[in-house]
Amino acid sequence: MAETVVQLRDVTKNYRRDAFELKVLQGITLDVEAGDYVALMGPSGSGKSTLLNLLAGIDQPTSGELIVAGQQVSRLGESKLALWRQRHIGFIFQFYNLIPVLTAYENVELPLTLRKSSRAARRKRVETALSVVGLQNRMKHYPRQLSGGQEQRVAIARAIVTDPTLLLADEPTGDLDAESGGEVLDLLGQLNEQFNKTILMVTHDPKAAARAKRLVRLDKGRLVASAPGGGTGA
Amino acid sequence: MIKLIRRNLLRNKRRTFLTMASLAMALFILSLLGVVNDAMSFADDSAMPDRLVVRNAISLTFPLPEAYEQRLRTIDNVVSVTPQNWFQGVYKDQRPENFFPRFTIDPATFRSVFYDLEWNEEEWEAFAAQRTAFAAGRELTEIQGWSLGDTITIKGDIYPIDVELQLRAIYDFDEPGQERQIFFHRRYVEEAMGNPGQNGTYWLLLDDPEAAPAVIAAAEAMFENSDNQVRAETAEAFAASFTEMLGNIRFFFSMIGLAIVISIFLITANTMAMAARERTTEVSVLRTLGFRRNQVLGMVIGESLAVGVLGAALGVGFTAVAIQGATPFLDQMGFGFGGFALDVQVLATAVAIGIAVGLLSGVFPAVAAARLKIVDGLRRL
Ligand SMILES: Nc1ncnc2c1ncn2[C@@H]1O[C@H](COP(=O)(O)OP(=O)(O)OP(=O)(O)O)[C@@H](O)[C@H]1O
Ligand SMILES: [Mg+2]
Repeated sequence: MAETVVQLRDVTKNYRRDAFELKVLQGITLDVEAGDYVALMGPSGSGKSTLLNLLAGIDQPTSGELIVAGQQVSRLGESKLALWRQRHIGFIFQFYNLIPVLTAYENVELPLTLRKSSRAARRKRVETALSVVGLQNRMKHYPRQLSGGQEQRVAIARAIVTDPTLLLADEPTGDLDAESGGEVLDLLGQLNEQFNKTILMVTHDPKAAARAKRLVRLDKGRLVASAPGGGTGA
Repeated sequence: MIKLIRRNLLRNKRRTFLTMASLAMALFILSLLGVVNDAMSFADDSAMPDRLVVRNAISLTFPLPEAYEQRLRTIDNVVSVTPQNWFQGVYKDQRPENFFPRFTIDPATFRSVFYDLEWNEEEWEAFAAQRTAFAAGRELTEIQGWSLGDTITIKGDIYPIDVELQLRAIYDFDEPGQERQIFFHRRYVEEAMGNPGQNGTYWLLLDDPEAAPAVIAAAEAMFENSDNQVRAETAEAFAASFTEMLGNIRFFFSMIGLAIVISIFLITANTMAMAARERTTEVSVLRTLGFRRNQVLGMVIGESLAVGVLGAALGVGFTAVAIQGATPFLDQMGFGFGGFALDVQVLATAVAIGIAVGLLSGVFPAVAAARLKIVDGLRRL
């Protein structure tokens, strides 16, 4: 029996907008087991990114229980939370969000600089991560010298280099053409299958969602369906 | 971290360079102002609170009768009186290095008022005994390469006579600027001029600096009804009136300095704010990766601090080079009675201002960057 990486119990999230309370998430209950690959779909504004942000510990729920990687995330203070994030979360953004002044190598190395480890050990990890995404020959390139798909693969390398418990991806193919998007999806599938990474991916693309093991639909802040996806593993 | 700061600085090379350069430029000007200000402050440094100067009420260029010396001596609290006269003249040529103050004095009373110069007694005796002798400050003798016994000629201009003088005494004074003068006998000039019986200023030594206002009043009252009314003032006031506008200039300089500091602060602060704002998303990304709030804070401050420090270093370096190069020149323009030196304090102030500007201008964007909720930072695209 795999351990449960994500446990959401009746999680709500409201945003105040002036006097008006915007109920973005209205009682989400969801479990994600280790090694699972979950696609999160839903119309724009349904709260997908909000949910992902809660899981990443970069936003706080209004109510409900949120346990990620065995930790009650909302109980952590700023500094502990940062440390926790660094250990357990790998985040992949729609717009890659690489640091433009750093090379691919340095971007991937960035999260490791927060750890106590030797330069050689870091180098090994960075090189491994970059070779997993197939960019070991682009280490010295700056983000502007890479294509969108390559940038996203560097971003994935950055997300996996710390060997996080949970990989979160917010529309990772949203800004890519079909081919590069396909490469990124292949990569995520490979990370899930070969490296047993637990992945939660937000996507608008049914084809992308079909690659996951499980599909979760969000509509107006509620989970409307949770079904096994058409992914290879299912 | 350090790498990231460095790279961020290099990100917009032109902007970083311009900010740094403007900071450097401003600090350069500021240091120059400071140095010039220092050089001009000799009047204050050498203030002699126990001494008064009496001169013609009309202007410094009008003389006073010789007889005033005795009468001034009768005023209460006046210990001693000695005449002093600005001879001016030309030594060799008009080149600035050959310009130095030349006064005629009376050896009989000179040292009783100007007790702070240090003399070799034998030299002094020799100087006092010889009507054509002159005495010079040590620094000046070194500059001119004079030694005791040397003879120089000063061509008169205010006084239509040339004087030939022999160096008999060298004095020391702990204010180096005051070692750039020569003194010679008033009698020599008087006789050459046919004894007109006139003198430029009288210097009074008081037994109590507190008595200065009373003595000033008494001296001015004493000659109120004569043809040559006098103006009496403290040595400090005299120095200030001698270079009347200096006080104003210094104030003006301070204001310019202040304006410079404020404007570089605003420029740097604006640049740093711009740089930080552009990177709102990046800061949030870093925090998503696990960077702590304080690390982000340190990064933004570190960046502007680096601008401040490098700008300051550059500015001070400039100043050092410029002053080294310009000193001999400025010094002899007459700016440098007080010595025109690169003061460590001025440089330290400039560096401190640079660092402070760097720090302060980094603080606001840094705090803003650290305060921002990660999700809000990521949303702003
Ligand atoms: N910081 C915020 N302040 C106020 N409202 C917010 C904030 N963040 C999100 N919202 C609102 O919450 C709702 C859900 O936003 P969210 O970004 O989670 O949607 P999404 O499902 O990811 O949409 P999309 O598919 O367009 O990315 C939206 O209506 C959005 O306007
Ligand atoms: Mg979204």
